[in-house]
Amino acid sequence: MSHPSLEEKMAALKVTPANDDERACADALAPGSYEIGVQRTADILDEGYEIFMRSSRSSMGIAGDSIVAMFNAAGDLVNASAGTYLHAVIPPIVIKYILSRHGENPGINDGDIWYTNDALYGGIHNPDQVAIMPVFFDDELVAWTAALSHTTETGAVEPGGMPLSATSRFEEGMNLPPMRVGQDFRLNDDIIEMFAAFGLRAEANVTVDMRARATTADRVRVRLLEMFQREGRDFVVGLLRRMLDEAEAGARSRIASWIDGTYECNTFSDAAGLSESLMRNCAMTMVKEGDHLLFDFTGTSPETPSSYNAHPQAVVGHMANYIYEYVFHDLPISSATFEPIDFVFPKNSMLSPDERAATSCSVMAATGAMSAVANCVSRARYGSDEWEQVAASQGNGGNAIVLAGMSQWGAMFADMIAYPINTEGQGARATGDGMDAYGFPWCAFGRAPDVESMENEFPMIVPFSSHWKDSGGHGKFRGGVGTAQLWVTHHVPMLFQMAIADNSNIQTPQPLFGGYAQPTVPGIVLDGVDVAAALAEAEAGTLTLEKLLDGSFGKVVSQPYGSQIHPVMADQSIIVGLSTGGTGYGDPLDRTPESVARDVVKQLVSVEVARDIYGVVVDADTGRLDTDATASLRDEHLDRRRSRGVPYDEFVAEWDQRKPDESILTHFGAWPSGEVVEPLMRP
Amino acid sequence: MSTIHVGEYLDLDLDAERWQCHDCGHDFGPAADDYKRGLLVSERDPSEIHPAGFEGEYTFAPKGDWIRVLEFICPGCGRQVESEYLPPGHPLTRDTTIDVASLKQRLADGSARVNDDGKLEVVR
Repeated sequence: MSHPSLEEKMAALKVTPANDDERACADALAPGSYEIGVQRTADILDEGYEIFMRSSRSSMGIAGDSIVAMFNAAGDLVNASAGTYLHAVIPPIVIKYILSRHGENPGINDGDIWYTNDALYGGIHNPDQVAIMPVFFDDELVAWTAALSHTTETGAVEPGGMPLSATSRFEEGMNLPPMRVGQDFRLNDDIIEMFAAFGLRAEANVTVDMRARATTADRVRVRLLEMFQREGRDFVVGLLRRMLDEAEAGARSRIASWIDGTYECNTFSDAAGLSESLMRNCAMTMVKEGDHLLFDFTGTSPETPSSYNAHPQAVVGHMANYIYEYVFHDLPISSATFEPIDFVFPKNSMLSPDERAATSCSVMAATGAMSAVANCVSRARYGSDEWEQVAASQGNGGNAIVLAGMSQWGAMFADMIAYPINTEGQGARATGDGMDAYGFPWCAFGRAPDVESMENEFPMIVPFSSHWKDSGGHGKFRGGVGTAQLWVTHHVPMLFQMAIADNSNIQTPQPLFGGYAQPTVPGIVLDGVDVAAALAEAEAGTLTLEKLLDGSFGKVVSQPYGSQIHPVMADQSIIVGLSTGGTGYGDPLDRTPESVARDVVKQLVSVEVARDIYGVVVDADTGRLDTDATASLRDEHLDRRRSRGVPYDEFVAEWDQRKPDESILTHFGAWPSGEVVEPLMRP
Repeated sequence: MSTIHVGEYLDLDLDAERWQCHDCGHDFGPAADDYKRGLLVSERDPSEIHPAGFEGEYTFAPKGDWIRVLEFICPGCGRQVESEYLPPGHPLTRDTTIDVASLKQRLADGSARVNDDGKLEVVR
């Protein structure tokens, strides 16, 4: 095997130095031409993004959880339309691999369609697949294009592309190293048949999504080629190089404006596939010095015997979700923005596992890194004049429900419900609350389907859909709340359900500056659900999550949200779908009482939380704020705080003697260092 | 030199090289040390912060034997400067260590200044 080493993957994220020709072309750009050229690339990519969504079949593709990108001849990412920012990290690794390993055999030709989904070769996890096309102009390789998205079926040991029970890559279904799947602008029929075979559970999703990627990459190629023809080869070559230069300069300038120092964040998770255990899923130390950032993950728990592991480039990809969304939001989505950023990954950790490791649920393993980067960067940034851009971490739940079986339309299906992952609450900001049900932390542009679409796509009905009260992290600025839905099997005798999840015992993200994190996400099933009664209550507009949980419509069964594949019979509750809230920012007693009262009226915060956490007295019936009682209650809260607080050193002396029970430390590693205790055996 | 507003409730007095409460000015100790050492610590069961919502093994409240909520409180004004969710006995995180020498150098050489909001601003 010749899969790229960790060092090669990290090196591929760096921009290839300009050659003399590129430099001359960049220097020759006329004033104003650069800006117009940049916008033109964005227009081309936006057209591709739209085509991608309209061509895809899987829920994730339709929702826009994807990316369309263009690269220079060396494979450096120049710009993209997103979508899912984490995908931006992948193609440079793959293209540079193709150039170094396959440039001679089978060679790279005009009309080639290259493809991969293997994390060992630079991917995120194998449901995330990419089609890549070279762009030739006058017989010269001048650029590359790519389209990436998530298809929820890979022919793994369980449906849905993210098998919970996989213990090695050999149980994860289709894993394709970078390979040519089409020539002369046509996909090969034998390859499509192979995809259909791997995708037997959801053939249309798998083959249509594959074609959508190729179609999109080709559309961007055609438009880029038109630009070459119209503007001339030197202009476009110079433009792509100059975009890299500007992106790097912009990134370095921004980082340099923050305060030098060392910033740390530890996050924790509670499940590795089907095995519950406490893990430090990210120990992050961020060193900011001048215009450079170093992220060191030493101290992260060991790799797990599950699919909850992430190869390093997948971790970088998850950090890119935050970095492109919050830090470099005004720069091109470009390899060059990562030029001033380096990484240290401890070998055999869950963020740098062995080559045989299962990584199909890497998104669950990487939520800690995705959360910690927000925390560390915010601390470095707050003391600068960029403080208004600071935000607490997103909820980063990503809990995914997979449904599979025979649909009401008589077709086999295996897909993910896009609604809950696209309606998480946003982390609170330095200047205001996080948005409620804002979207998908992996893809801020993703669109949640409406209930009618869900009921058309899946054999189920959705009697209840609402914001999830109290799910936003409390704080001076509140984390946005997530959502809750009730899903009931309908129109079919049964279906299969599984859930890729964690955070039923503890939450992963840390809050910021005295706020609180969001609540845990339990698995709730209503045994013997009375659908007619629930629908009648919904019709009256009075059905709430609290009423579902008081047992009126079926016996409440509490379990982990993550679950292995199991059947759900007709007219039974699948699960109460929960989409997590965002973390909170600042002291809750610093929140204006009027804001708390407004939240109570809007059913986003309960009267009890208003009283016990915010120290605000609100009449449950009228929503009226009692100003005097609130002032008095807040004084009481402050007094109680001071009286229960103990000096730091005194607290630590007692705290250091404690340790969680061994029964929940199965996958933690050595306590508290997190070092590997014994190597994993993977046959 | 000046005071820089480095956290929502945290200031760094560069002259004295000491941490201070942004709200009441209470001294949290030397900048070379962890500012949390100057704060009170309150340990809470997560169910006090996150109502369980219903009965069951898995609820909306994180489990208290897995994780604790630590609140770091200003001894002067009671402001909750920080909070952290940690397993019992897990080392407390030193979240912020500022390179004071670098900061002073940037101010001294004129490449940066502290603006009226107490924020570091690059001089271009």
